[in-house]
Amino acid sequence: MSLRRLRALVRRVVAEVRRDRPSLALLFIAPIIVTGLLTYILREGQSPDLALALVNQGPPPAALLLTPALEKAGIDVQPAADEAAARHLVQDGSVSLALIIPQDVTTGGGVKVVTLGLDPLADGTDLRTVGAALTSALARAAGGVVPKIEQVTIYGTGSDDPMVPFAPAIVAFFLYFFVYLLTGVSFLRERTGGTLERLMATPVTRGEVVGGYLVGFGLFATIQVAILLTWALGTVHVPSIGPLPAFSIGLGIPIVGSPVIAFLVVLLLGLGAISLGIFLSTFARTELQVIQFIPVVLVPQFLLSGVLFPIESPPGILQPLVAFMPLHYAVDALRLVFVEGADFATSQLAVDVALLAVIAALFGVVASLTIRRDVV
Amino acid sequence: MNSVPEPDPKAATAPTAAVRAVDLVKRFGELAAVDGVTFDLAPGRIYGLLGPNGSGKTTLIRLLTGMTHPTAGHAEVLETPMPSRPMLERIGYMTQADGIYPALSVAENARFFADAYGTDRSGVAEALELVDLADRTKALAGTLSGGQRRRLSLACALVHRPSVLFLDEPTVGVDPLLRVQFWARFRSLADAGTTIIVSSHVMDEADRCDELLFMRGGHVIARGSGDELRRQAATDDLEQAFLTFTVDGLETAS
Repeated sequence: MSLRRLRALVRRVVAEVRRDRPSLALLFIAPIIVTGLLTYILREGQSPDLALALVNQGPPPAALLLTPALEKAGIDVQPAADEAAARHLVQDGSVSLALIIPQDVTTGGGVKVVTLGLDPLADGTDLRTVGAALTSALARAAGGVVPKIEQVTIYGTGSDDPMVPFAPAIVAFFLYFFVYLLTGVSFLRERTGGTLERLMATPVTRGEVVGGYLVGFGLFATIQVAILLTWALGTVHVPSIGPLPAFSIGLGIPIVGSPVIAFLVVLLLGLGAISLGIFLSTFARTELQVIQFIPVVLVPQFLLSGVLFPIESPPGILQPLVAFMPLHYAVDALRLVFVEGADFATSQLAVDVALLAVIAALFGVVASLTIRRDVV
Repeated sequence: MNSVPEPDPKAATAPTAAVRAVDLVKRFGELAAVDGVTFDLAPGRIYGLLGPNGSGKTTLIRLLTGMTHPTAGHAEVLETPMPSRPMLERIGYMTQADGIYPALSVAENARFFADAYGTDRSGVAEALELVDLADRTKALAGTLSGGQRRRLSLACALVHRPSVLFLDEPTVGVDPLLRVQFWARFRSLADAGTTIIVSSHVMDEADRCDELLFMRGGHVIARGSGDELRRQAATDDLEQAFLTFTVDGLETAS
């Protein structure tokens, strides 16, 4: 080994990386953003202010002990007259869950917890918080007898499939990811290969270029969405043939709502990803840089859309950021469709879909503005 | 110094300028890539923009085609101020990079640009014929040799039968035989009325142009036919003539 040659190689590598400013910035900044976000979400995002509706029909000791115990645990307690009123509060989003304490709670009667059932992960977190306060308070009132807790959901079947809470986010994220990557790299080639410069010397407008990409890649995104949803939601059982054992194709994730609405939601998300790819390709000089944008642009959306962690409401300072994240609306919309069986009569779904369309259009305009710049 | 347009003896009856630059300036920060260029170029002639790398040829072409806005001054093509989108239908622009789609076939590339220019596709076959690629129409552009790619690139700038053709270093990486063919094509186009502006840093191509514009440091330092420029510089060698004008220019500047 020649030290001189080694030194030359080291110098060259260092010089190359040092001059690749975007890569260098991402090398140092991206891990800080991602780990910072993750820490923030884990610390703040998991313990949102919890409010519950309490229907307290229990005997005096339990009734008196319970509210202070819950409030001590940081839970906002709103009394409700009966189960119907409490369910109504859960449904309109005023509280996260309803707690129904029966008259015979001290003599073995079960406590009923009603949750929305849209986001099983978030429900689980809430239940753990309430459960701890509830159990200790009631156990004291009942003389050490721990009451049974029964969970019911307003929506959803309470499916045991562990994939259900993740399905909306995973379907949306991976489509977003692949469409972004495909468009970003393709458009970068258009910029660096000289074809964009040449195209701009024809009467073609920026809007036409972005439109062409949206429709062209949109076509593939449509097929991709159709295949992905069919694969995720459908199951085909193949019976055993001869020596071959029986098997199933497809993930068969149970959903309540319409696959057509789910398709529309994911497609809108895909169109947004195409515009994002065109937009970000402005800032990239190499294909590597298109990939390096993922931790800065895609990972925060992934974390904040509740793929891995239940995020009932995003941590305070991130809220303005989340408002611009298409993935957030897509995951929310898909949850409504998958778990609640919502259609466009549900205002929240309509809002989500409208915002997805607005964001896709907005990014489309921004993307077109990035095109006719001074391409060197 | 000869950056001011020469008086045209037939000015009263001659057609107006195909390309006009008036005090064109383009700055990138401190650097003036094009620094006060003024000229009129007559229709149906071949003009050579000659100068070393970095002398401002490509930036000047981009200003003339309206691809970038000037810092000062203005450019006109066929009496229309640039940038002008409608005028782009009458301009052909062959960029330094091939600017063709490798995954598309030869014919698909040419047809795509015909559609982008918004003209019918009748010029496609003609353009491919002109660059000798009529028998390779089905080949993918990515599989072509370097010379064939340059030819396809030229064809894509011709599919809409432009009135003014800008060719940015069209013969870079092109073998001598193909270079001869290219110049024969340029001549036949000019004879048919097309105004051609060719940039090059190869002096031996210069004599094929009707008129030359020597560029250096963003200025047009001399203009005239090859013979005129040689005579003015009192040399037989165009390269030597260029150096003479450069030195003169530097002396004048200082």
